[in-house]
Amino acid sequence: MTGDLEFLHVTPANDPAATVRIRQLLAQCQLDLDCDIDIFVSAEVRGQMVACAGLSGNIIKCVAICPQLRGESLSLRLVSEVVQLAAERGHFHLFLYAKPENVPFFQGCGFYPLVAVPDTMVLMENSPVAMRRYCDTLAAAHRVDGERVGCIVMNANPFTLGHRYLAEQAAQHCDWLHVFVVREDLSLFPYADRYRLVAQGLEGIPRLTLHHGSSYMISRATFPGYFLKDKGIIDSCHTAVDLLLFREYIAPALGITHRFVGTEPFCAVTEKYNRDMAYWLQQAPSAAPAVHVSEIARKTLSGTPISASEVRRLLCQRDFGQIEHLVPDSTLALLQAKYVNNAEACAQACG
Amino acid sequence: MQILKQAIAGTLESSDLMVKVAPSADDALEVIVHSEVIKQFGAQIRKVVDDTLRQLDVRAGSIVIEDKGALDCVIRARVQTAVLRAADASQPNWEKLS
Repeated sequence: MTGDLEFLHVTPANDPAATVRIRQLLAQCQLDLDCDIDIFVSAEVRGQMVACAGLSGNIIKCVAICPQLRGESLSLRLVSEVVQLAAERGHFHLFLYAKPENVPFFQGCGFYPLVAVPDTMVLMENSPVAMRRYCDTLAAAHRVDGERVGCIVMNANPFTLGHRYLAEQAAQHCDWLHVFVVREDLSLFPYADRYRLVAQGLEGIPRLTLHHGSSYMISRATFPGYFLKDKGIIDSCHTAVDLLLFREYIAPALGITHRFVGTEPFCAVTEKYNRDMAYWLQQAPSAAPAVHVSEIARKTLSGTPISASEVRRLLCQRDFGQIEHLVPDSTLALLQAKYVNNAEACAQACG
Repeated sequence: MQILKQAIAGTLESSDLMVKVAPSADDALEVIVHSEVIKQFGAQIRKVVDDTLRQLDVRAGSIVIEDKGALDCVIRARVQTAVLRAADASQPNWEKLS
């Protein structure tokens, strides 16, 4: 049977017929087809789809093998093929989400568990040392010991006076403050701009280290959710993975005792992330010490909380008069330079 | 030979191995071997890998090996291929690879 096996590459955007067959195979295995898969490796026997594995950037998703053909030989070939395809596309550092019962199998494929959400899922990466090396580097370069060492992770899309306020408040309560900027380029403002504005916007705050984000915090890799039908479970899982990674690796590496976050009056997803933070960083059972979560009330302007989403909305209307009150000069200058006479960028902002 | 970029070679199928090579941040050479037969043959696998790296004059880099019970000659070939890819060697010195 496996002699007739043929491995193919399927790009969902260009091949609707094959994508339908992949969807059927996934459904057979109680999986959904994720909408953000760039390309699939599929295995067919005489035109019949028997296995598939998808790639979304550097994350392996939607791995399924037809129940009749499950066994080491097909699955190992499938994983080899998808790792090879990822390499051809320039991705060597790979992540995948596995159901707990499949962890031993993926360990046999060169993947190592990073963090486990009990009874639900395990995030794995294809290196036995990458996370340790990342933490060692962080610790060697930036660890500052203190009784209260704080951390803020911000997307800053774009940096506002609210971010500045949050950092000032946090810094006042800490011996040292670490600020990470979300690195993933999935936001309106590109990472390089966001990072630069944060650097400029935080100037003058003492005892603070600004860090580049990484794939280990609020990244594409920390957003799973393909094998879980229940959307409620998906949401709480992706926050759990992200937060447990923080608690079990990043916080101990830098000796972080407190995580600061602004209250979230607008966005339900961020609000849930804040609430989940209190659980996964403080209460959930874990080998790592708890990280105290401090929620700081947002800075307001005439009674309205300042938010980056409001700035984006105003940008869409090109209301620089209002924006001026919400952001520091550096952010305003960038917005004006990039958006005042740029219809295309504005259309994107409004999209 | 200098490891300039990331590269892989091989597969995870039985009797093969996958070799992942990457530049090292601190100019150290780090070799990690995972094998299904590590208890019986771990030392021998490690020796083949070390010898091959020495032959290729690789002094820095991260080498991760997922072995599925490959023979020595296969291990040597896969390590050579991964290193040559990572070093961007378009004209390998075949005599050194024998």
